[in-house]
Amino acid sequence: MTKESLRESSTLELVKVSRNFGSVKALDRLNLNVKPGELVALLGPSGCGKTTALRIVAGLESATSGDLFVNQVRYNETPANMRDMGMVFQSYSLFPNLTVTENIEYGLRARKVDPSLRAKQVTKMLELVALGNKAKSFPHQLSGGQQQRVALARALAIEPRVLLLDEPLSALDAQVRKQIREEIRSIQLNLGITTLFVTHDQEEAMAIADRVGVMNHGRLEQIDKPTSLYNDPRTPFVASFVGQANKIPATMRNKGKVQVLNQKINVSEKDSHFPEGKNLNVIVRPESIELASENDPESTNGLVAIKSFLGPLTKLGIAVEGTPLIHLSISSKEVRKFNIGDKISFKISSEEVMVENV
Amino acid sequence: MIQKSSKFILISASVIVSTLLFVIPLVAASIYSFKGNQGKGYSFANYLWLMHQDGFFQSLVTTLKLAILAGALNLILMVPTMVFLNLKGAKFKPLVDFLCILPLIIPVVSLAIGAQVSMPSILQNTEYELVFFYVVISLPFTFRALDNALQAVSLNTLVEASRNLGATWFRTIVKVIVPSIKSGIFSAMFLTFALSIGEYTITSLLHWDTFSTWTVVAGQQNILGAIAISIFSFVGAIALLTIIALFSNKSKKLIEVKE
Repeated sequence: MTKESLRESSTLELVKVSRNFGSVKALDRLNLNVKPGELVALLGPSGCGKTTALRIVAGLESATSGDLFVNQVRYNETPANMRDMGMVFQSYSLFPNLTVTENIEYGLRARKVDPSLRAKQVTKMLELVALGNKAKSFPHQLSGGQQQRVALARALAIEPRVLLLDEPLSALDAQVRKQIREEIRSIQLNLGITTLFVTHDQEEAMAIADRVGVMNHGRLEQIDKPTSLYNDPRTPFVASFVGQANKIPATMRNKGKVQVLNQKINVSEKDSHFPEGKNLNVIVRPESIELASENDPESTNGLVAIKSFLGPLTKLGIAVEGTPLIHLSISSKEVRKFNIGDKISFKISSEEVMVENV
Repeated sequence: MIQKSSKFILISASVIVSTLLFVIPLVAASIYSFKGNQGKGYSFANYLWLMHQDGFFQSLVTTLKLAILAGALNLILMVPTMVFLNLKGAKFKPLVDFLCILPLIIPVVSLAIGAQVSMPSILQNTEYELVFFYVVISLPFTFRALDNALQAVSLNTLVEASRNLGATWFRTIVKVIVPSIKSGIFSAMFLTFALSIGEYTITSLLHWDTFSTWTVVAGQQNILGAIAISIFSFVGAIALLTIIALFSNKSKKLIEVKE
């Protein structure tokens, strides 16, 4: 796919950016570096500071301290209307009194772009979001998905330095959400535009981002490629927030091993400092637990408490005394014979686990 | 079943009461306003008499002029104020709300005399001073009309979207905010207009002649003429309210979001 944007892709850099709201620290020395043409998703629970970070980049919020650079130029004092950043809001925020065309050309009119160029750009954007037949419609005459496409076209029409997406899919239903997110990614790759995408939906972030930054309490816990984030989480928070994770009580043993249920498993190197006898939680993904023979000395017995069919996979919730419900994700064929209340044996298949303090 | 019958009783009672207190007097007054000389026959004589009275057109023009100016001044003053209060100055809103309600609390006599004294001398000697009084007495209604309209739109997001697209504050207010709260602006404008046209006490206390003071004087000369004046004013008010309703509905349709 060829790059179609006229403007060169920009870099975006946040250096030790903090934002306090009274005594609340919404952002705590956030460092973030987005490469030209890259799509970075900021993922985190409500109140983690991801939207604040995005709003600071857009100029809708000011940082208490720290610096913001776009193409190595400091942007802290640049007003929102001079930043050349296209933003798509969660609530579409189309201008209700303007038609689709007028909404898309709004930014171009503000820049006093020549009418013929403006018309050309609007046509291009309408084609890009496949809404050529809705050019004269008003926002209230469009569906949610169509409104969000117009919002995207409006943000892209000004050929922004950075595209900012503030939970743009959360107001849409599941099917439309998937479709629009694929469209966003395809357009972003096509235009090669540097993009910062904020979401609380991990599936969304993992599906379209080049890198995902997981935020918690105003800080970036880890920023990595989706696969690395899932397979090699650096903190217990990332491990439990990205994907599903079981937290099983365990006790630290010597030589970097941990006693969990009936197994002794290696802990990751960074967690090996815990003293012997320390009570911890082991973090294990559902797919890292497998069914085992009852005779296996390392297996643990439990009772099937939940059985959720998910197509090729089935999710089981197993009740084991002294632990919270343990979740397994295994082939539907394999678990066909088990019903709720049946006895089941399982063991952890990972060679190494991550632990967290209780 | 019980609910249905109580609803029927309520509607019937409302119809009877409004017919007795409103429709019958209005119809009777309308019929009387068309009575001919000495109460014989029907004609437009009273309306023609009305139009041929000294000062009819002059007072009407003066009133319309003052009302239009009051409506315009009110909007110039209140639209930016209300936008500011809803966007950035939420903590000042209760204070401004209180100040805007004051004209309803302060007796009109005190308001007229007090404000007259503090009015710049250049304005004290012209009828245009009434414009400022009309603006003050319409503040409670303007505040509510504009505030309701602003609360009905996602003001913050619209402003942020506009600013993000490169628009200046002026462009944002003119192109985005004003059209989005058009129904509220029309309501505020017409309420000010209607209040200004009907205002009597302040005008009379300050010895100015407008349509409302003229009607009192003219009505004392001819009882049927006085009724014609009432009907004339009433029809004018209804016409204004119809225009407000039409514009409000049109604006509301624009901001409705398809579910």
